Amino acid sequence: MNTYFIKESDFNNFIDNMLLQLPVIAPVLSSESVESFFSFEFLKNHDELRLDYDITILPPKKAFFPPRQVIIEFSHGKFHGTVNAKKQVLLGVHPYDIKAIDQTDFLFTENYEDINYTAYRNATTLVCSNIQTISKRAFWGSISHDVPARGHDAFLTKLTDLNEAEEEGYLFEVFNEKGHELLSFGQFLLATELQIQQAKSINESIKDKCPQQLNYSQDEMANTICRSFNNTALWDELAQDCFSCGSCNTTCPTCYCFNVEDSWNIDQQSGQRTRYWDSCMTEDFAKISSADGQSENFRKTTAARMRHRIMRKMVYLNDKLGTQACVGCGRCSIACTADIADPVNIIKRIMEEAANDSL
Amino acid sequence: MTAFENKKAENIFLPREAVILNIKETSQLEKHFTLRNADASKMIFEPGQFLEVSLFGYGEIPIGLASSPTRENSFDIVIRTVGRVSTAINQLKEGDSLYIRGPYGNGFKLEQLRSYPILVVAGGVGVCPTRSLIQYIMDRREEFKSFTLFYGTRDPSQQLFLEDLKQWRCSDKVEYYETVDKADEHWEGPVGLITELFKKTSIAAETRVIICGPPIMFKFVIYELDKIGIAHNHIFVDLERRMKCAIGKCGHCQINNKYACLDGPVFALSDISNLEEAF
Ligand code: SF4
Ligand code: SF4
Ligand code: FES
Repeated sequence: MNTYFIKESDFNNFIDNMLLQLPVIAPVLSSESVESFFSFEFLKNHDELRLDYDITILPPKKAFFPPRQVIIEFSHGKFHGTVNAKKQVLLGVHPYDIKAIDQTDFLFTENYEDINYTAYRNATTLVCSNIQTISKRAFWGSISHDVPARGHDAFLTKLTDLNEAEEEGYLFEVFNEKGHELLSFGQFLLATELQIQQAKSINESIKDKCPQQLNYSQDEMANTICRSFNNTALWDELAQDCFSCGSCNTTCPTCYCFNVEDSWNIDQQSGQRTRYWDSCMTEDFAKISSADGQSENFRKTTAARMRHRIMRKMVYLNDKLGTQACVGCGRCSIACTADIADPVNIIKRIMEEAANDSL
Repeated sequence: MTAFENKKAENIFLPREAVILNIKETSQLEKHFTLRNADASKMIFEPGQFLEVSLFGYGEIPIGLASSPTRENSFDIVIRTVGRVSTAINQLKEGDSLYIRGPYGNGFKLEQLRSYPILVVAGGVGVCPTRSLIQYIMDRREEFKSFTLFYGTRDPSQQLFLEDLKQWRCSDKVEYYETVDKADEHWEGPVGLITELFKKTSIAAETRVIICGPPIMFKFVIYELDKIGIAHNHIFVDLERRMKCAIGKCGHCQINNKYACLDGPVFALSDISNLEEAF
């Protein structure tokens, strides 16, 4: 497929035309005090669009895996599934989040395909955009960096640092039919070789600008973390201040655990079965109850749960995914009030402990 | 993925209807349901597999199949009153419907059991999922060598499948031993932990062993089996977890990197003995 260019002066029109035809989910400013906070929302007009965002509070997976999703409706002994996916555009997704979506695409499809996810995912045109502002806790430059971002239909790069003679605007790479369909909404020109090179260097040069860095290979990390499984003192230390709120899961683009619950409507005759995001860091996640109030919790302590979370991000899924289940967005680091969720600090501490042990 | 096309895959969360043919009250806490698919289709499964059983408005719970697939016209489950869903299910009557998904998971690998001596160690409600295997072995007794069954409960009132027990006590198809941790005034059988039963008979080292029961029981039983010298790949355990989705997605049943709903609930001990979260 081809690579196009759209002038800055035509860009707003492109967005507005698209909005006339399709729902568009994109980063917008959600609150602003000392800092700006962004979130993926249904876009109302081009003014709201903030492609210069650093990070969103919740990851874009909510466009096809919403925090709460009715999966079955029932009424008077009858029931039906609720899948009803309509065409939509998810625009302005950074490459690290594209990688996370690629992971959930795989995980919701392997073994048993879950159409409560895939139907919405398939109905979505996914447009990646280049990272213009780097989040203060990001470390995507040094984790899951060996795997390419894939699964998106188009890629938008804002061209910057141009000569005076060059036209401001965006490079728009189209990878397939879905991406191609968006061309009809704007004044696209074929990109020049120079523009293509400029975009390439913009996307290349940002890779080592993350404020945080991990200087280990994926295997080094996985092996050492795996070997630290039984270092109880270490996990106790890492989880010491955890109050099991689950925010590190809720904000994570690669987390996909859920729970399912039924509820009645007021008529008490009809209702719905709803799935909602769940967090392995919360106390009851692995608990089963048996009769007479007895129960068994297979991960009783915060340390056991912290260890499970880190194992799942860094070890357990690696073989399946071909990469870690952490894309280095740093959302968990920002979300954790106790500031103990940051994988960079956790990994560094584990690696350092292992190095000391082997002295 | 194809552009803008909703896949025609089935919605894996949609259950199907099963009609309750018979209900037996097996103890104060448990009810034993005999069910049939509402569309009269046969339930094809292997012993040790489980269903997601639900009642709309209350929710869904994982329940092991408690009858043998050799009994073709119906299938059994036992529901213990524990929470919201099980309480609601245990108020149903014969002729009412339940909603089921499955069968799911890996059951007992019959080909690894056939033509060997078999020992089943069932503690408490652990007898439910193993009953499927017990019935199977009884029905196809000639396929196996000796068959020994240990059944232990906290007290006599906790015993399930009383009719089966009567039959097992005098059947020549099974060498049956039972015990209770604490007797009541009517109990005339042995009193003591399930591991005491190992003293009553001799178990050959080539025996294939199936264990199902409360987590605490596993360690003690395995200790006894180690004394006999039974290899860990000949020991099969049926693990209980909070299996919310049964399809390897929700994460609730995970034991280290394994999923009880996909890789289990029956595991060879050798496959999980290095997993710290298993017991
Ligand atoms: S673990 Fe943290 S840094 Fe890694 S992907 Fe999840 S939220 Fe982002
Ligand atoms: S690590 Fe932090 S964000 Fe995660 S559960 Fe513990 S306190 Fe909450
Ligand atoms: S029950 Fe959901 S992953 Fe196993």
